[in-house]
Amino acid sequence: MSENTDANVGTAEKQPLGIDRRNFLKLGVAGLTIAATPAVLKKTGGGNGHGAATSKHRWGMVIDQDKCVGCGHCTMACRAANDVSPDISWNRIIEDKETGTYLPIPCMHCEDAPCVNVCPVKATYHRPDGIVMMDYDRCIGCRYCEMACPTGSRSFNWEAFTEANPAVPQWGQPEVPRRPRGVVEKCSFCYQRIDRGLELGLTPGVDLAATPACVVACPTGARIFGDLNDPDSAVSRALAENPSYRLREDLGTEPRVHYLPRRKRQENEEVNCS
Amino acid sequence: MIRDMREKLLFPAWLGFLGLMLAAALVGAFFVFTRGLVVTNLTDLVPWGLWITIDLSAVALGAGAFLLSAAVYLLRIKQLEPVARTAVFIGFTGYTMACMTLLLDIGRPDRFWHSLVFWNIHSPLWEVTMCISFYLMVLTLEVLPIIGHHSFMQERFPWVAARLESVHSLAPVLAVVGLGLSLLHQSSLGATYGVLKARPIVYKEMMPILFIVSAIAAGPALTVLASKLAARLTPRAHVDDALLDKISHFIGWALLGYLYLRFWDTLAMNYTFEPGRTEGLLMLTSGSLAFTFWIGEILLGTVVPSVILLNKRLRRRPNLHILALVLVIGGLVAYRWNTNIVSQLVVFNMLPNELAPVYTSYRPSLVEIATGAGVISYGLLMFTLGVRYLNIVDHRKHGHAVQETTVSVDRAPVPVAGD
Repeated sequence: MSENTDANVGTAEKQPLGIDRRNFLKLGVAGLTIAATPAVLKKTGGGNGHGAATSKHRWGMVIDQDKCVGCGHCTMACRAANDVSPDISWNRIIEDKETGTYLPIPCMHCEDAPCVNVCPVKATYHRPDGIVMMDYDRCIGCRYCEMACPTGSRSFNWEAFTEANPAVPQWGQPEVPRRPRGVVEKCSFCYQRIDRGLELGLTPGVDLAATPACVVACPTGARIFGDLNDPDSAVSRALAENPSYRLREDLGTEPRVHYLPRRKRQENEEVNCS
Repeated sequence: MIRDMREKLLFPAWLGFLGLMLAAALVGAFFVFTRGLVVTNLTDLVPWGLWITIDLSAVALGAGAFLLSAAVYLLRIKQLEPVARTAVFIGFTGYTMACMTLLLDIGRPDRFWHSLVFWNIHSPLWEVTMCISFYLMVLTLEVLPIIGHHSFMQERFPWVAARLESVHSLAPVLAVVGLGLSLLHQSSLGATYGVLKARPIVYKEMMPILFIVSAIAAGPALTVLASKLAARLTPRAHVDDALLDKISHFIGWALLGYLYLRFWDTLAMNYTFEPGRTEGLLMLTSGSLAFTFWIGEILLGTVVPSVILLNKRLRRRPNLHILALVLVIGGLVAYRWNTNIVSQLVVFNMLPNELAPVYTSYRPSLVEIATGAGVISYGLLMFTLGVRYLNIVDHRKHGHAVQETTVSVDRAPVPVAGD
């Protein structure tokens, strides 16, 4: 896991909304009054209105179910890098016992994300590059996003996580601050690794230090990460060359996590759609 | 004499009971705020439970306030004014109950004000929060004259009392604003569920309509019930049975309308198959929620009370009348409970062609029950004290409420209030 530790050094925490709020607070104590509220709207509404992607990147992930063996290394690396409590999985894995197929489920980072639409305070929002982010300083813990998420990708901090993280140091080092009790958290595509990687001139999905921890940790190479806007990226090529599907595409939320279905069959198994 | 005895014994006993409930709730709330929501039985699969049901029910049962205010000041049914006064006080109590429950329910109660400052205009919950905040202001303004009318205020602080009473001149404006806000958020509470793609059984346009129609039936029912019970239990309350009878008749029709909508909304779901939604329907009609659905919601909550309330002979039997109103309120709570919980107990499938449903379960923890009961006790306490000291149930034609329109008040001490 040396890649993890490398990327961890001096990681800057980027919280775009935090800056907005600081600026806003500078406007004066009158910020609580209704008269000032339109100013807030203008400040926060610009960069992270839902669906508005202005970045040249559009991060996406491809998970190859043919290669996934359900080892759970992704979940552990995620817990270490993002300092996630053992009670919570940002990346849970469902096993289909009949076919022996595994379905790892991170946040889908939907283009039309139900959670972003329903959050009453815009604590969850789209970054320009499409990542569905959480502002833990703004979340009020109403859990409406959990009601809205079709893939159950969100977890609430029912209690404070104060113990030592058992995933550290074996699986990596924490790169982001721990979340307080009472807010919802979820997979962030390891935005901290992407942002720092880009600053260093690395390519997320190619250079391990700029790639989400789960992708780096996967021993079978079942996870591919990259820029969906770049036709030469590994994700775009994987999607162009293979049949793929997404979870609950019928809902029209346009998930950015794609799956390559299992192709290998047991000898006695009939060929059927998996 | 018997009434005297009853007042003397019943009142302290009742207050003592409410005090105990409130004390238990305070202990529960202490655990919630110090240890967090881990003391509840809520999970990531069932994040909304008993508290949300209480919250939804308290708001719906407060609907009497906007309906009766609208009837008095927009439809100009002036004779309902004293009943509107009762309804407004109950509405105020109900909305403060809802706010207390929400404060318990959100993970970061210290950030309750965030939705007022950080707007997401796409979220039904944001709209509900804004509407409820503004409507609570309206209700507060509507309650101020009632406080200003109290003899204590009039004797000690006549100037303040006159100012408070003068707010009453805003009543027609408040009625219009209250109507708008209430129609919005009572419906939007349904839309809060209606927009949830991930909860097939509630993902439908009917949710806002069902929520507001059920509130229109049950809100006034609580007003009438509370008035009638107060009149039975204390000589301080004076009701006009003819007025309450009229309102009850209206409730009967509203219930029929609701029953019609609910019937087609829910039972027509079996026309089509949709994974998740069909399992939810099965859970309601023949599964673990069958009792609260068929008995609590449909039979006792809607059919029986609508028969009683629409039949003059049955309705005029006091005990039956009260029973019917209790059933209406129970039916509303059952509907809110079923709607909230059925949408979560069937876990959403990851694949559209996945036919094996996954279920989860939820049973509120002791802390949830104790704090929930405490919030309800607070509501009962508010009403009890309101009847005793603020004279909120006085539907006599020449009651004090009528005089409030003239700001120059008579300073005659009110005989019933104050000791």
